[in-house]
Amino acid sequence: MADENWIEVGSTDSIEEEDLIRFDHQDKTFCVYRLTDGFYATDGICTHEAVHLEDGLVMDDEIECPMHQGIFNIKSGEALSPPACDDLKTYPVKVDNDKIFIKIN
Amino acid sequence: MNKKIFILGGGQSALYAAREIRKNNRDAEITILGEEKFIPYERPPLSKDFLLNKRIDEDLYFCSKETLEEEKINYLNTIIIKVDFENNILVSEDNKQYTYDTLLISTGSKNRKLNINSEVDDEIFYLRNLEEANNIKEKALGKKNILIIGGGFIGLEIASSFSQLNKNISLVEVGNQLMGRIIPNQIADLVKQFHENEGNKIILNKTISEITKINEKYKILLNDNTEIISDLIVAGIGSIPNVGLFENTKLKLDNGIVTNEFCETNIKNVYASGDVSNFYHPLYAKYMRLESYQHAQNHGLCAGKNISGIKTEYSSIPWMWSDQFNLNLQLTGICDDYDEIVERGKRIDDGIIYFFLKNKKIKGACGLGIAGKVGRDIRITSKLTEKNTIVDSSLLSDQSQKLNKLIQK
Repeated sequence: MADENWIEVGSTDSIEEEDLIRFDHQDKTFCVYRLTDGFYATDGICTHEAVHLEDGLVMDDEIECPMHQGIFNIKSGEALSPPACDDLKTYPVKVDNDKIFIKIN
Repeated sequence: MNKKIFILGGGQSALYAAREIRKNNRDAEITILGEEKFIPYERPPLSKDFLLNKRIDEDLYFCSKETLEEEKINYLNTIIIKVDFENNILVSEDNKQYTYDTLLISTGSKNRKLNINSEVDDEIFYLRNLEEANNIKEKALGKKNILIIGGGFIGLEIASSFSQLNKNISLVEVGNQLMGRIIPNQIADLVKQFHENEGNKIILNKTISEITKINEKYKILLNDNTEIISDLIVAGIGSIPNVGLFENTKLKLDNGIVTNEFCETNIKNVYASGDVSNFYHPLYAKYMRLESYQHAQNHGLCAGKNISGIKTEYSSIPWMWSDQFNLNLQLTGICDDYDEIVERGKRIDDGIIYFFLKNKKIKGACGLGIAGKVGRDIRITSKLTEKNTIVDSSLLSDQSQKLNKLIQK
C-alpha cells in the first residue's frame, strides 16, 4: 500500500542535471533538485525574504537565492552565506520507476 | 601576549572581518569600535521593509550579542577622535587610549549633505543608519506629501516604500536619468516608467533653487520655477568616504583610503575595508571605491584573512541590487566600457537584462525583473566576467536558452 506521505513530483527526466524544478503542493512550494549523485528537495522559498528559489542558480551542492545571493546547501539546508541566516528545510526524496517522490510530513 | 586587533567602524565590513579573524586566530583580542549604540546590522532593509514596518530593529542584526560574546568579539560603542599611527594608539572622545598591534579601518561613508539655506537645511532628512530611519518613519506618520531629492538607489527605494504607504511622492533628480552614476539608461528608463505607473512624480534635469518653510509645510522652488509643496523632505544625494579622522596623518587618502589588493594601506599593520577603501582591483587593473552590501561583506572577509596571515587577493566582481516595489534590479561588473550591447528579454515579468561586452567578453550587465527573475543570469554573468569567457551574443539574447551552459567548469 502506498505511503500517503510520499507525494509524486514528476518524472526523473523533468529535471536537468544540476538544476531544479518548483513543485507546489497544497499551500506550500518546494524545490526539487537533480544533482550529480541524485535528487533532493527543500522548501521553495528563501528564508531571508519571500522569494522563490526556483529562479536561483544551482552550483554543485548549493542553491543561491536569485534576489540577494543568500546560499544554502541543498542536501543539509544549511545557510552558507548571508544575507541568509536561517537554514532551509529539507525533505526526503525517493525515485521509483523513474518517478520522483518527496516526503512532506 | 595576545595580539590586539582593533577595528574602527561598526558596520558590516567590520563584523565580517572580526569573525573571519576569530575563525583563524583563537587567541587574538578583537575589538570593534563603533559609533552607533547598535551592534552591526543590515542596512538594505532600512529604506524598504523597515519603513514599511515589515521588519523591526531586532530583525536587522547580522548576529546576536550572545554570538559576539561566544566568539569573544568585543563591541565598544565609542567615538574615536584621534589616531596616532606613530605609536599605534587610538584616542576616544572620553579620553581613553587603545593600543593596537593591527588596525582595520572600516569607517564606511557618510551622507553628502545639501546646502540650501540655514532655515531648512537641518530639517532635511537623510537615511543611512537605524536612527535616521526611525526619525524618518516617525516624521512621516500622518504626512501625505513627500519630496525626495536625488534619484539614486536610496531615493528611489524610499519613494517606493512611501508610495506603498499611500503617500504622494515627488522625486527631483539633477541628472538626465535616474541612478545615472552606475545604471545604464535602458534600465533607468524602465524604472522611471514603473514608478510613474505607480503614481510617483519623477522630475529629471532639475535643481532646487529655494526651499521656504510655511507653517509646517515646505514650499520648494525648482530652477524652472516649478513649485512643489511638501510635508517632509528626504535627500539621498550620494555619500563620501568617512576619512575626516585621517586627514593630515601619514595615511594615504585619495577618494577614501588607498589600499592594495590585500586591503593593506601605506602604513604597516593598518588595513582598510568596505566603503571607505579605494582599493586596487586586479581584474580591472584600476582603483575603485564601492558602496554595496556584497562588497562590504567580502572586502571585510578578505581583510580578516590578510590580517590573520592568509594572503588573499580581493578580486570580487562588483555586484549590487536595489528592490523597489516588487522589482529587483541587479548590476554586475562595470557597464561603461563596451563595444556591444545585447538585450535579453522583453518583459519585466520575465526579466530584462542588458549585457555590455567588449571583444566578445562580458564587462558588465544590468537587469530588472519581478522578484528574482534576473538573479540567476546576473550571477552566471559575474562568473563569466570573472573567467574572462568569450561568449556568443546570440545565446545571450535568446531567453529560451539557459545561460548555465556558458560556464566552463
